[in-house]
Amino acid sequence: MTGLLDYQPGSSPLHKAHPLVKLLLAVAICVCGFLADSIYINIIILLLIVLCGARCGLARQIRATLKGMGALCAILFILQLPFIGSGRVWIDLPLGMTVTDQGVRFCAQLCLRLIGATLPLVMLFAVTRLSDLTNTLVAQLGIPYRYAFVLTTAVRFIPVLLGEMREVIEAQTARGVELDVGVLRKIRLIPPLCAPLLVSCVQRMENNALAAELRGFYLRKRGSGYRRYPLSGVDYAWIVSCVILLTISIIL
Amino acid sequence: MIRLENVSFELSNRPIINDVGFRLEPGAFAALVGGNGAGKSTLLKIIMGLYRPARGAVYIDGEATRGMRVSAIAKKAGFLFQNPDRQIFGATVRAELAFGLAELGISSEEARRRVEGTLERLGLDGSRAPMSLSRGERQRVALAGLFARRPKILLLDEPTTGLDYRECMQMMRCVAELNEEGATILMVTHDMEVALDFAPRMLILADGQLMAQGLTRDLMRDAELLERASLMPAQIVALSARLGIAPGEADDVDSLTDWIAARRAAKGGTAR
Amino acid sequence: MIRLDNISFKYAGSEAFALRDINISVGAGEFVGVIGPAGAGKSTLAQALSGVVPHVRRGDFYGAAWVDGSDTVNTTPAELARSVGCVFQDVESQFATTMVEDEILYALENFSVPREDMPERVNQALLDMGIGDLRERSLFSLSGGQKQKVALAAVMALAPKLLVLDEPTGELDPKSSVQVLRLLQLMREKRGTTIVIVEQKIMLLCEFADRLIVMDKGRIALDGSVRELLNQPDQLLELGVNCPRVTSLAARMKARGWTNREPPINIPEAERMVREAIS
Repeated sequence: MTGLLDYQPGSSPLHKAHPLVKLLLAVAICVCGFLADSIYINIIILLLIVLCGARCGLARQIRATLKGMGALCAILFILQLPFIGSGRVWIDLPLGMTVTDQGVRFCAQLCLRLIGATLPLVMLFAVTRLSDLTNTLVAQLGIPYRYAFVLTTAVRFIPVLLGEMREVIEAQTARGVELDVGVLRKIRLIPPLCAPLLVSCVQRMENNALAAELRGFYLRKRGSGYRRYPLSGVDYAWIVSCVILLTISIIL
Repeated sequence: MIRLENVSFELSNRPIINDVGFRLEPGAFAALVGGNGAGKSTLLKIIMGLYRPARGAVYIDGEATRGMRVSAIAKKAGFLFQNPDRQIFGATVRAELAFGLAELGISSEEARRRVEGTLERLGLDGSRAPMSLSRGERQRVALAGLFARRPKILLLDEPTTGLDYRECMQMMRCVAELNEEGATILMVTHDMEVALDFAPRMLILADGQLMAQGLTRDLMRDAELLERASLMPAQIVALSARLGIAPGEADDVDSLTDWIAARRAAKGGTAR
Repeated sequence: MIRLDNISFKYAGSEAFALRDINISVGAGEFVGVIGPAGAGKSTLAQALSGVVPHVRRGDFYGAAWVDGSDTVNTTPAELARSVGCVFQDVESQFATTMVEDEILYALENFSVPREDMPERVNQALLDMGIGDLRERSLFSLSGGQKQKVALAAVMALAPKLLVLDEPTGELDPKSSVQVLRLLQLMREKRGTTIVIVEQKIMLLCEFADRLIVMDKGRIALDGSVRELLNQPDQLLELGVNCPRVTSLAARMKARGWTNREPPINIPEAERMVREAIS
């Protein structure tokens, strides 16, 4: 299963950076996108992410994210646009709705911000082993291990859940259930789809918790991790650039 | 009848099924065997129309399934999943069976008759909650769901995995009865003894390719072929092969006992 | 290694006993197969050895269970895990990480194995299971057999004295199943690990285990060496356990006075028996 949140091994500068630095970088970029007033900053940030990601061998993830988010943003754009009345009116629509220059700018920026917030996170998981991230969160930030484990489990269960969902859908489809039908019928189909999924997920989670306990989950301490994560010069450079990025976006 | 012609299937550019073709006559019972990840379940799902082949064609009951809705295919073919819990949701066994029939647009009068008939036939208590049953019983509830729909074709994905010996035999006897009544059956299994006992024909899949097809008792003799497909022959067949007995002559305990008796008698005769 | 004195157990909220008057003692280095029909209490027995019963799956627990010198009622499952390793059938849900190497490190880290010992332990576990080449792989990308080997390696890295497995080959093809059992045999020979395995595939048990325990309705129905039990094929069948076909053949031959050998546990032995009978 090569899902969107899977780690992709590599040796790019992003891969080599410290896990916490990568997390900082991703969060900083998201924040910048929302802080920036000028749409040009958003465009520049997005271009930088895409360029940087492509150089680090993440073209596939970027394409998939852009495709998914593109569709979502298109819908948002169309739904949002007619309700913004301020600015110079370009087109008059019935029911007092309008398309204005400010409306287009606002909606476009909203979409850019959304994509600009999603991409760094997708890339973060693609270049960081989940265990590295949780290990550093526990060892260096002192976050209790159980919370870090919840993060790991959540990410690990996404593909498992999707797989289960697919199998349940297949099982019901094979019985002659038609899923591509009207909304009303679809609501009627919720129990046949959800009941089996719920049962199997609860079973799995229970087994998972049990297995973790049998392997010393409760004995784990802050310093238990095998791997050590020293910060390198390059990492400090990344941190400095994060600060610069944030400053610029606040000023502009 | 099931017929596949040069069927290939890919998943994110990785070939899963490669140029598979075979034909099962009406009333045939074939075992589909192979190692983990050979593509057995995928092939079954392609026949059911759950996956669409990239190339090639699937014919069910003489009709090409290309462009057919799965719900239309479901009128002719039933699919038993390895894990019955993926499909069971009804509050009672009776409700579970009735749901499958309602989806096929069968009148409620007819549906009731079929449900009761099926319950009696498979020895199930219709008022029980499926989740309170054992794994083997749940598997039989899922089979009953298929049975009530009277499909001409049954696709079974490891129907005996996770069952104990008694449950396994009960399950297989139900399947064998359906076959005697004319259903064409294609069954994925890892249990070579079950394959030998119940399925006269065998299809061996390895790395998405059909490595061999033919009579089960013949293929079972080819130890080298089975080894390459991550399989092992049924015990008595393996023993017969080592004893140099012709294929098909002594594949079960009874016939091998007879063979030994004959050899002892022949030897005793020459000694006298 | 294991001593169960009159164990009975009833799950909370359940009327019936899942285990009843269980008395077993297993010596160090034994390879014990547990078999029986569904609902016989096999999994409950396995969980009683790991302390899951009665610490996680609660209920009324009677009798005393000693595992590697510890009373399981007074020891937490985590503490017991230092000497008891567990592998389940549903391999997917026993993983705690996403990469093979991390998975093997996981328990070592939790149990505070000295840091300098870890690389050697990980290497050895991977090598023992013959999966050195999978080290850097994502768990999602592995086949069923490979996943089961990783789960085994993760447990073996802790060097448990007792290994408890609940239907580890349930989802595996015949060849991978034999491979897993061979690895267990290897661990027994190399490290003296005691092995208790719940398994439906009787042919595997006959070939690899030296002792069989047949359970029925929460009780121990039969307990003896593999050959002793194979001498009673009718009792086995009555308990819902099938015999390997070569054993059935041997029983027939014995009944007709054609052989007086012990029942064969594999094909070569069966061949010898038949050849003797016809020569």
